[in-house]
Amino acid sequence: MSPPPASSQMSSPPAGSPALGSGAAAVHRWVEHTGELELELEAGSEREVLAEALEALGQLLAGDDRPSDRIGAQRTIRVSAPDPPALLAAFLEELIFLAESEGFVPCALERLELRAGELEAVVAGALGRPRPLVKAVTYHRLAFEPADGGYRARVVLDV
Amino acid sequence: MSELQLKRIDSFEWEIPRGAVAGMRVPARLFADEELLAAIRGDRSLEQLANMATLPGVVDWALAMPDIHQGYGFPVGGVAAMDAEEGVVSPGGVGYDINCGVRLLALPLSAAELGARREPLVHELARRVPVGMGGRGAHEGVRGANLERVLAEGPRALLEELGIGSEEDVRLTESAGRLEGAEPAAVSARARERGSGQIGTLGSGNHFLELQRVERIFEARAARAFGLSEEQVTVLIHSGSRGLGHQVCSDYVKRMDRALARHRIELPDRQLSCAPLGSPEGRAYLGAMAAAANFAWANRAAIAHRVREAIAQVLGSETARATRQIYDVAHNVAKLELHGGRLVCVHRKGATRAFPPGHEEIPAEYREVGQPVFIPGSMGTASFVLAGREGSMRRSFGTACHGAGRRLSRTAVRRAVEGAALRRELEERGIAVRAASARGLAEEAPEAYKDVERVVEVVERVGLAVRVARLRPIGVIKG
Repeated sequence: MSPPPASSQMSSPPAGSPALGSGAAAVHRWVEHTGELELELEAGSEREVLAEALEALGQLLAGDDRPSDRIGAQRTIRVSAPDPPALLAAFLEELIFLAESEGFVPCALERLELRAGELEAVVAGALGRPRPLVKAVTYHRLAFEPADGGYRARVVLDV
Repeated sequence: MSELQLKRIDSFEWEIPRGAVAGMRVPARLFADEELLAAIRGDRSLEQLANMATLPGVVDWALAMPDIHQGYGFPVGGVAAMDAEEGVVSPGGVGYDINCGVRLLALPLSAAELGARREPLVHELARRVPVGMGGRGAHEGVRGANLERVLAEGPRALLEELGIGSEEDVRLTESAGRLEGAEPAAVSARARERGSGQIGTLGSGNHFLELQRVERIFEARAARAFGLSEEQVTVLIHSGSRGLGHQVCSDYVKRMDRALARHRIELPDRQLSCAPLGSPEGRAYLGAMAAAANFAWANRAAIAHRVREAIAQVLGSETARATRQIYDVAHNVAKLELHGGRLVCVHRKGATRAFPPGHEEIPAEYREVGQPVFIPGSMGTASFVLAGREGSMRRSFGTACHGAGRRLSRTAVRRAVEGAALRRELEERGIAVRAASARGLAEEAPEAYKDVERVVEVVERVGLAVRVARLRPIGVIKG
């Protein structure tokens, strides 16, 4: 039910780094929330934010059983939404549905096409027993917007 | 940490005045003592409570029960009533787990009579009631359930088609297990896909099955009416509408979000997305929500059936037949009710209906003592049975709280508690434990929750409900 330990989530310097522009490494972190799980993301581009969101969710679903060494499945996701925050939520919602319905644990974003209000992604992953935790992706304090030359996003997951 | 200024109404009631947050249409009120309030101020609960008061058509006050904690959109423990003519319905104000709730069963024997058969019974309960969400347990629901009928009729569909439960079980369920206006056609194909195969499964997170003994009776007359006596063994079931309900909420939050501009509604938080009760979106959601609520009651009925099967296996079929359902209450739902002569849509998000003695919606055998209300604590502490009181109609739209309320985040509690050690500690205290994972067990540790005794005392002092019995856990199965 909980995210991995904070120390394992930083793939680059912590949030607050002044420059997020092109070339900046992507970051995600789980923020304290009494009832649910709150995820913050920072990266140099929209694509990198979505890839980092996938990485964070994959770690969460895999728990201690990181399946990256046995990637063998691939799924294509197509979603549309009226704005970037809703598109991020729709993307994560599809990943959660695949975990719940097929036991698909996402590991890597293989291909991503982003058009206005639409997203098509090919996701590599493993079939297994994801941790039973996320019920839904909420719109509470949902954000995905340009910031400091890059992009910042926030999403709260209902658990 | 909330910096909102509160006005004290009396010893246990506080107010966030209208105007404290832009767009508030009514004040917001909270029931708590000073110690609970200090914990409540530690997260964003009060801001979420104030945001509830911005919804169109909200009447009197946005309310919070003493177990309030930070959620999404509404706080958990939030209650808001919307005028039936001019108000809105908000899927996020009901929550993703539509009709998450609790059902209490009473066995015809005492803890002493159960004796050494406690451990085998907990084992058998864990074997028969699937837990988890995706993967294991996801598709182990009762076979042969007709989903269309379940969505339309709730547990009655299981009773008539599969012989699950009894007429008495159906009658002793809030709304007789069937919300009027259920519209199965308003439930999406994806919601059906997620829910199919999940009837009779517990789920994950804070869902649980608990074997208990009645430690103390506080109110003898109500206890007699409910059929509870000291040292009696009980089983408390906490589950909801599983993936089906989660998807219904997701579908309608999005649909209403897209319609906000058309309805000229501005909100401080997208999760509060809503639509006028009479609009196409509002009517469709109410139909889908009622169908999901019926599904949840059927789910708890099927879990209760599996509990009785486990009792039959360990204690004999006569004991299983004599295991009686006391009641089943919803704690995530929106219902049209009459309050103060007005028809309103009461949103209860992590809150329990608590109608007082004499209310016509209470089953006949309980009507003189008030509606049964169940307030689970945490697995190491106690749960309470209460009976609704008149104060609930004057102060909280006929509502009491639904639990102890979380105090610590899952991350914080895992820093403080180690799952294996917690299991040993609980077992040393006479509580047999079965959990899907040590990590999940740690996240639901007693330390994660507020003091349920204090929460229940506030409910009683405010006059929302009165304590009837305290139940002490002797076995826990965690989802």
